[in-house]
Amino acid sequence: MLSRIRLTFKQHRFETLAVTIVCVGLTAAALIEAFRLNSLNVPLSCLQSYQGSFVDPSQGPITAAQAHCNELAKSFSDMKGSLDMNLVQLLLLLVPLLTGIVVGAPLVAREIEQGTAPLSWALSGSRRRWLLGKVLAGVLLLASLMLAVGLAANVLEGALNPGLNPYNSFSNYLGRGVIDVFWALAAFAGTFALGTLFGRTMPAVVIALVVCFFVRGVWDAGMTHYVLRPFAIEQVLPDQPQQGYVAYGPGSGFADMFVYSKSYIDGKEATDAQVNDWYQQNMVCVPTPTQSASASPADSSSPSASSSPGPQATPGNPNMGVACQTPTIDPSHFPQQIQYVLPGSWYWQTVAMESGVLLLGSLFCGAIAFVWVDRRRPY
Amino acid sequence: MVIDRGASIGTAALAAHGLSKRFKKKVALDKVDLAIPAGSVTALVGPNGAGKTTLIRVCMAFERPNAGTVEVDGVDPWKHRSEALRRVGYVPQTPAVYRGLSVEDHLAMARSLHSGFDSDYARRRLDQLGIPLDQRADTLSGGQAAQLGLAVALGTRAKVLLLDEPLANLDPLARREFIQVLLDAVKAEGSTALLSSHIVTDVEDACDRLVILGGGKVRLDCPLEEARQTHRLTEADSPPPGGTAVGSFLGRNGKTIMTLWRLAPGAGPGGDQGTGQGETSEAASLEDVVLGYLAAGRSIGLQLN
Repeated sequence: MLSRIRLTFKQHRFETLAVTIVCVGLTAAALIEAFRLNSLNVPLSCLQSYQGSFVDPSQGPITAAQAHCNELAKSFSDMKGSLDMNLVQLLLLLVPLLTGIVVGAPLVAREIEQGTAPLSWALSGSRRRWLLGKVLAGVLLLASLMLAVGLAANVLEGALNPGLNPYNSFSNYLGRGVIDVFWALAAFAGTFALGTLFGRTMPAVVIALVVCFFVRGVWDAGMTHYVLRPFAIEQVLPDQPQQGYVAYGPGSGFADMFVYSKSYIDGKEATDAQVNDWYQQNMVCVPTPTQSASASPADSSSPSASSSPGPQATPGNPNMGVACQTPTIDPSHFPQQIQYVLPGSWYWQTVAMESGVLLLGSLFCGAIAFVWVDRRRPY
Repeated sequence: MVIDRGASIGTAALAAHGLSKRFKKKVALDKVDLAIPAGSVTALVGPNGAGKTTLIRVCMAFERPNAGTVEVDGVDPWKHRSEALRRVGYVPQTPAVYRGLSVEDHLAMARSLHSGFDSDYARRRLDQLGIPLDQRADTLSGGQAAQLGLAVALGTRAKVLLLDEPLANLDPLARREFIQVLLDAVKAEGSTALLSSHIVTDVEDACDRLVILGGGKVRLDCPLEEARQTHRLTEADSPPPGGTAVGSFLGRNGKTIMTLWRLAPGAGPGGDQGTGQGETSEAASLEDVVLGYLAAGRSIGLQLN
């Protein structure tokens, strides 16, 4: 089997070499970017207090220490938003899929295209054993390279979010760590299965690209709704009586991952429409200075606001607007939103679950290839 | 004499019984009965599209027959593929070599895929032909690539060798070398070879048995010498004594229609002889025999004005 693996690498030397160069280069680039960020030595407090170019006049004059702090934080922010940093981050997301496709597509398809499959299949009593040797070579190559890329991506993530433990946070967790290995293996298995079905390399590559990026696009929604939901932990937000956008989720930079939310009115589960109805019925619109009108939770010009009970604005007064505010109701009766989140401490369990789903998908695609290779013609 | 197909299936190195294969509406093999005796070198001759490649592919379990059975050394390749392929050495139509691999790598690959592969044997064969083991396969000449394919097939030490038009792309010298290596190996190992070709002269000196395939059917299956002895050629439709017309085709001069006759067993020796109507029949060459049967298979009567 070792001989088969060695010969598979030699047979696909172009793909092996190209994938190795890209992955080693990307690993090095990620580590260099992380080193550059870390070498700025920006204190965490500077990053937390840094507000970009905005200067709050109420804070009084800036001290030299604060100015230095701001300068450091600005350098950090600039580096974080630089082109090369964004390019490396983009490649960290794409490379696992692309390498899987590049290695997987020619595995069987090229043998059929170049007419070498009859030679191998005539020699090997078992086509599945023949395929196993080739697949093992691909798995070994991708697993080792992707592990290096994933670990480098973890180091970079730690540098991008100082104070955040990458192994205890869902920030960009789908593009780093061991899950990279499983993304690559899933793309690899899907592509060599397509290559086995079609017996042609290019169609396998094109379809694999479409399928892989579609799956990657719907992955977050699918996982949160169907896989992770039962494990989410309730998190009541008493200070946010209104519905609001919560910036949890993959890529948000937050440690916890927002999975889904539910709204309640007086202890009963309510839909978004019911919550909106509640606000329309219980809001009171009063004349207020114009600038405060824009801060109200509902649009003052909307028909629902103007039809709400309570004092109406004087149309002839240009300095007054209409603001709709909730009447004096006991806050415990406000619609309440409960968020269900996975705490950062669930990182490993979540990665294991998602890797497991990817592994199952890989095994399914692999099984199709192993069944089909036994049935198909070698030309 | 045409062999008794049904009776010999059990003992033949390669046997087909009622073998049929269709590709959509095209019939590639039509109820083929065949028995290749062990130890023989058989030429499988027929025009392009006759079904030669399909027959070999069915024997290799690359194609599933629509009807009938085939046995390689007594094993049905479709039911027991591993068992059957262990007994077969295969040389494909075009030299199939891995472009990036060296000659030695091909032997290593064969060894890793076939448990009984004899690398030393294959290496000796290649050494004798002066093919460097460290040379990349994609830089080999057509003849060398074909020899590599043959060396890999011979290295399996298989009882049955199936060669699918291996000579088609070779120059005359390479063809002769290839045939010689094959014959030496078959003689030394006592194996059976089925060599397909659409060029009769390629296989005339190498084989001891002839199978003519045309339109998916077996037109003739007999020892080569018997094919020569029992067929006569005339210019007109005047049969030699005891002769049955097989088919008519355009003669070598491009003007006369020649008719191939099959003589009844014991009807007489070869050589020129009278037909009894003032015409003279002549001994049929192997090419004439093949042309006669293929013309009969097409069922197109050639006529000149």
